[in-house]
Amino acid sequence: MSTRRSRLWVLAVAFALVIGACSGTGSEGTTVPDTSGGTETTDSPSPDTTAPPAEPVTVRAAITGDEDTINPYTYISGFPGWNLLMMQYDSIMQIDSDGIPQPWLADSVTANADLTEWVLEIKEGVAWHDGEALTADDVKFSYDYFIEWATGRFSRDLRGVESITVDGNTVTIGLGAPNPAFDQVALADVPIIPQHVWQDIENPGDIAFEIATNVGSGPFKLVDYTPDQSYRFEANSDYFLGASPVDELVVVVFADDAGANAAIRSGEVDVIFERISPEQIELLDAQDPLDISQGPEFTTQMVNFDVTKAPFDDVAVRQAMDLAIDGQDLVDTVFLGAATVGSPGWVHPGKTVYNPDVTPVFDPDAANALLDEAGYADTDGDGIREFADGPMSFELIVNSSDSLRLRLAELVAEMLGNVGIEATVASVETATWEEAVWPGFDINNGRNYDLAMWGWSAPVQANTIRIAQLVHGDPGVGFLNLTGFDNEEINTLSAQLQVEADSAVAADIIGDIQALMAENLPFIMLAYPDGAYVYNSDVYADWEFIAGQGIVNKLSLLPASARP
Amino acid sequence: MRRLGLRRLGQYVLVFGVAVTLNFLLPRIMPGNPLALIAGVDVGLMTPDERAELIEQVGLNRPLIVQYFEYWKSILTGDFGFSYRSSRPISEIIAERLPWTLLITGAALVVSAVVGIIVGAFSAWRRGKKSDLTLLTGMISLESLPSFWLGMLLISIFSVQLGWLPSFGAVTPASDLTGWAQVGDVVEHAVLPTVTLTVLSIPGVYLTMRYAMLEVLGEDFIRTARAKGASERRVLFGHVARNAMAPVVTFLAIRFAFSFGGAVIIETVFSYPGLGRLIFEAVSGRDYPVMQAAFLVITIAVLVANLFADIIYPILDPRSQEE
Repeated sequence: MSTRRSRLWVLAVAFALVIGACSGTGSEGTTVPDTSGGTETTDSPSPDTTAPPAEPVTVRAAITGDEDTINPYTYISGFPGWNLLMMQYDSIMQIDSDGIPQPWLADSVTANADLTEWVLEIKEGVAWHDGEALTADDVKFSYDYFIEWATGRFSRDLRGVESITVDGNTVTIGLGAPNPAFDQVALADVPIIPQHVWQDIENPGDIAFEIATNVGSGPFKLVDYTPDQSYRFEANSDYFLGASPVDELVVVVFADDAGANAAIRSGEVDVIFERISPEQIELLDAQDPLDISQGPEFTTQMVNFDVTKAPFDDVAVRQAMDLAIDGQDLVDTVFLGAATVGSPGWVHPGKTVYNPDVTPVFDPDAANALLDEAGYADTDGDGIREFADGPMSFELIVNSSDSLRLRLAELVAEMLGNVGIEATVASVETATWEEAVWPGFDINNGRNYDLAMWGWSAPVQANTIRIAQLVHGDPGVGFLNLTGFDNEEINTLSAQLQVEADSAVAADIIGDIQALMAENLPFIMLAYPDGAYVYNSDVYADWEFIAGQGIVNKLSLLPASARP
Repeated sequence: MRRLGLRRLGQYVLVFGVAVTLNFLLPRIMPGNPLALIAGVDVGLMTPDERAELIEQVGLNRPLIVQYFEYWKSILTGDFGFSYRSSRPISEIIAERLPWTLLITGAALVVSAVVGIIVGAFSAWRRGKKSDLTLLTGMISLESLPSFWLGMLLISIFSVQLGWLPSFGAVTPASDLTGWAQVGDVVEHAVLPTVTLTVLSIPGVYLTMRYAMLEVLGEDFIRTARAKGASERRVLFGHVARNAMAPVVTFLAIRFAFSFGGAVIIETVFSYPGLGRLIFEAVSGRDYPVMQAAFLVITIAVLVANLFADIIYPILDPRSQEE
């Protein structure tokens, strides 16, 4: 690492040179940058002609936005921050490419019949990056630590844990109530941290950590961090499932996705963490050696309305709006086909618990008939229907930073116009939009909008049994219920689902809830966009697509034999 | 004279006070909430108690007036506390960002000043002729170019198509370069953003210079200079250009001051780790402490530049002293 003074010297000289380069007074121009990183294998002649030593593989990955020092208390975003965290740490279970949790740091994970007691047999022979052995005590310590020092995500994962006991290699976790999702939500999510590093650290939320604290058991170690610019991870050659075929992972921080797209086209990065937009898919795929990995994902695009006030408190209005929107048209026009049409029952059709009787219906005539019948007539002939408080004319707010969502909003407004409901698209900056839809991120504060474009990240959809969070009428249970929806039947069923131990019964309940949601419409589902990810196949091609986690995930960077 | 000096000083103090107050109020008047930044993406999944605890932890529950005095205290002590986002000291973040910003904005300012002044003087000298009109039209078109578009165009040509220059960042990531190789690396990365900034700054200097020159050209002393037989060259550089410099210097001083605020759009297009990108990120996340500190840097720079212009103006144009 350079000292402060030498950095200033470099800057001073650079300043003079930049001026020289810009005034263009006969300077030879600057030299070609070394954009090849360490990945070029062709231009390094080896004296040994029989067995050229394998060149180390470096993969340079682009992210947008800094992730701080990426330990459990400092990483910033759920994606890709958590993914980068889990390159360094392991959890008791690991999501496989189908999204199913598999034992990872454990030989086995078993639960009792009512899912209140979980028994983990911790693997032997796993070492921390510093060589110390990972033990069952570390596992208990980690969970206790996250419960004592709140992190947000991991502390929440572990809510309901009442006791943790260790006996040899066996860790037994007792829960206060049955939790059928404990494996997915907690065991496959919470990183295990070393007791010998963390036992003396108090108030971790207030500390600006050095990267030296990042001692994990994962396939990579963070060895270098330049804030807002880059990270360098080195492969852990002693990883318990075998060393990664990638020796070095360099993560570059971009300001926006346009910059990352340009850099992968110029060969300056090899893969982009975030998915690319639909119109980029064909363009990037056509360029050699870039390839695309694409598949269905669980993020959502939807329209929210304030169900507590007229006219959206009338289910006929909500149903008419749903009928008026042509989901297929949205998918074809905005996503160029790279999305699945939204199911009115919330659950993605690709999920095993999807109720096939619940399908999207587009029928503007039926929508008009429904509105006529419910008494919303256009009495003054201006093409806009009236309700008790005046014309059915509303603002549809959307965040300006998401261009796809903006386009969706424009089309939705046009479709609603066809049935006599005027929606005026108001594009506002993200924080302003969030504050209107979800003031203070607490639904007890109510809501300040009529119509709003909205979308949830993949984890909300991934845990279907947590549907109560989204629709339950009690703010304590339904804390993501942004539209103020309240339906007795759905309340009962969704609450029951949270503690149902029998998975067959749970699947039936989810099916019933979907049918009820399609009828009562707490919100309007538009689409589930596909994920499409671009990578340079000359550098590394063995990427594994995990729905919701993209391709730059832990599995992708492990030897094929180690992947579950 | 001394009384005037004191009055001036009083004015500066007053302006500083108003600016600081605005720096404090503007972030808080904006709709939106820094909670998402403090708590991360999981803010919605927190219980109301956890949220309340968090708000208390960062001191956002204290009365505005208390927070306001805290801000003044931080200005006087130079300790701006921690960013909501990264829990790093803000003074450290700004010290890291400022040199990068000054590298590209400073280089662009110097080059655009030289080019703008020379071309502006030439244009005014050839006033009304074809070359003047061509230059004038060209410069006005240049000024209307959107900066992000120009930046992306340069990336597309020089990085993607030709592969000559890096498209992002200030240095090659995770490279262990030292000495001249490091300098070369920094320069390579600075070229495209600097060129973009330079191209966009030239018209402003050009127009100011040209207009100032035209004003001076009409003055009596120019006719006198010509009448006494001074060469055209001497008239241009010794009389016209020298007297036209005063407004240009003021213009450049203010430009320089604002360059402390970085170039928000350019730094974003090139993912350049300067102050502009920091401000943009702070504003989008409602990172109040960072916004306050970054705005303060700009406030101070602008005031100092003004002071500088106030001092230098009478020297360049002694007539202005008489008033």
